Amino acid sequence: MKRPDWWRSDATAPFRLGPRMLPGRVWTASGCFGYGLAAHDFTAADCASPYAGLGAVVTKTVTPLPREGNPMPRLVETPCGALNSIGLENVGFDAFLTTVLPELEARGVPTIVSLAATTPEDFGPMVRRLHDAASGFRHWHGVELNLSCPNVAEGGHDFGSSPATVARCVAAARADLPDRALLAKLTPNTADIAQLAVAARDAGVDAVSAINTVVGLDVDLRTGQPYLPRRFGGYSGAAILPIALAKVDQIVRGTGVPVVGVGGIATVEDALKFFALGAVAVQVGTAQMRDPFAAARVAAALGQWSSS
Amino acid sequence: MTGRPAAVAAFGKVIANELVSSAFHRLDVVLDVPFAFLPGQFVMINEPGPRAWTFSRPFSILAGDGDTVALLYRVVGRGTAALAALGPGSPVSVLGPLGEPFPAPAEGQVTVLLGGGVGLPPVFAWWRRWGQPGDAACFGARHAGEVPWGLLGDTWRVSVDDPAGLAAGHRAASGVVTSLVADDAELPDGPRVVTLACGPWPLLRAAAALARRRGWRCWVSLEEHMGCGYGVCKGCVVRVADGGHERNATCCQDGPVFDAERLPGLVGSDLPTCGDGPTGAKGGCA
Ligand SMILES: Cc1cc2nc3c(=O)[nH]c(=O)nc-3n(C[C@H](O)[C@H](O)[C@H](O)COP(=O)(O)OP(=O)(O)OC[C@H]3O[C@@H](n4cnc5c(N)ncnc54)[C@H](O)[C@@H]3O)c2cc1C
Ligand SMILES: Cc1cc2nc3c(=O)[nH]c(=O)nc-3n(C[C@H](O)[C@H](O)[C@H](O)COP(=O)(O)O)c2cc1C
Ligand code: FES
Repeated sequence: MKRPDWWRSDATAPFRLGPRMLPGRVWTASGCFGYGLAAHDFTAADCASPYAGLGAVVTKTVTPLPREGNPMPRLVETPCGALNSIGLENVGFDAFLTTVLPELEARGVPTIVSLAATTPEDFGPMVRRLHDAASGFRHWHGVELNLSCPNVAEGGHDFGSSPATVARCVAAARADLPDRALLAKLTPNTADIAQLAVAARDAGVDAVSAINTVVGLDVDLRTGQPYLPRRFGGYSGAAILPIALAKVDQIVRGTGVPVVGVGGIATVEDALKFFALGAVAVQVGTAQMRDPFAAARVAAALGQWSSS
Repeated sequence: MTGRPAAVAAFGKVIANELVSSAFHRLDVVLDVPFAFLPGQFVMINEPGPRAWTFSRPFSILAGDGDTVALLYRVVGRGTAALAALGPGSPVSVLGPLGEPFPAPAEGQVTVLLGGGVGLPPVFAWWRRWGQPGDAACFGARHAGEVPWGLLGDTWRVSVDDPAGLAAGHRAASGVVTSLVADDAELPDGPRVVTLACGPWPLLRAAAALARRRGWRCWVSLEEHMGCGYGVCKGCVVRVADGGHERNATCCQDGPVFDAERLPGLVGSDLPTCGDGPTGAKGGCA
């Protein structure tokens, strides 16, 4: 598309987020690009690399201990999106620190580490260890607290929808993260997302990411049962773009808290809608799963206007 | 992992998309970049642009050469139905090659290839690249009409569940595909024989059981529901044995080809549950 007249920024230029300069405003969303390593040798005729122009890869959420995740099937495609019930399968914090993060640094991948924990107080020790292990890393830019994954019985839903709990998580993490960006990722499955954003800001985040997946369910008519063994899944993809835009708008206009927009972004047009509402950055999730170059293509489209 | 060709995210145009039997379509696509693959690898296919499905669909590579790739598929749902409707010149997006291939042949190896239904492409590709006169290439289908005779030529042994309607000049045994080699005395017992299998779950089970009985090695290509196809979503896990433990592996990146002995769901139980895959999903490549 042509650059709209109202758009004057360069989303691929470095920008400040709290104590940190980030390389750009187009990121990949947690859980949809793994740890950011699987596509390092992929090529395409029209795009230099899956990482070209990216401001950050937000890693798959890492938990204190390794998790095997939920039973299969874990994904259901719907006409304009998908339901997932991965169950936070991840290598665990120790393996992440010793093997994954150093490789991201060695490959120069701008990284935001997504963390989840069982209690708010778990975030403190995780962030401290991260800081001890990686304070010299140039490409580690920050932490995103996943306060909103609706899949995990002991974390998920309630945990991230109480402002008081959000504040405790953020405070625990902020105390040991003086020089990296701190974000809290909010759930849309709540009556008042703005209240959560305010609680997160007052406790010290530099921005909130909105939104995580929307609780959804689909029924397999052959069996009359939900497709997913856990019944509910997280709804994502094109279908949730208007929901994400509404939540971002509620936060920006209601509170002024900086927001990173996530939800249904596949193209530069989708991303521009979030920027139009005042988002400071955007993340590409489900679309990155079908095209490892999706976020890089969005960044390239935005970047070409910086010189025009 | 090493030695696999790097994946390309390519734009392609359909050259041909035709029925090659009563049930199987062959899709030939020309890509905008060079393409190389190893037999057993697959591609993720989608329609580019706003008509794209949320997730691309995985298909094993039947053939590929320079800048073309060929697939063989059966229509089972809306994605494959949409695929079947694409005429010459239609655009498609192709991500691949992906996944762990079948092993290349070792010195002195005798290979038994077992393909069932649309599980044919990976074993067919292996045969085309590395097949030797002493190998046994076997294909099984439900009935004679499903068999892509033109593709198989006369080197392939064919079995059908139901031999009714077999045309003159076509030869097929009746029964399951493993019966074509189960008691073949020309094939020695022991690990010099390597079985490569892809097909519905009962075929994979039968292949693993036969291999065990005769002391052959056995590799199978699995099918799981997939999201990304390149290892980032963890939507396609299968249970594998690792030392004394079981752990998750991704079908798309650690597989789809696995050593049958490492799949507890395949060799662990002697109660075949038709249609049940390693994790309770659909099962083999069919
Ligand atoms: C590595 C790999 C290689 C494959 N190679 C081939 C091939 O060479 N030729 C071929 O015809 N097919 C192949 N398949 C299967 C093919 O991907 C599915 O048939 C296709 O995704 C179905 O898409 P659809 O939109 O038509 O079906 P949908 O509408 O999505 O689904 C139709 C039905 O099929 C089931 N289903 C969908 N996808 C899968 C899946 N991946 N595994 C099990 N059940 C599924 C659904 O649950 C549903 O019941 C392969 C799959 C994998 C994982
Ligand atoms: C398969 C899958 C796995 C996800 N895993 C995580 C996760 O581990 N942590 C997290 O914060 N969000 C996770 N998400 C949510 C996404 O990061 C994103 O917030 C959401 O999908 C909406 O964006 P989208 O429509 O662009 O996908 C996951 C989403 C999908 C589809
Ligand atoms: S399909 Fe996404 S990890 Fe295998």
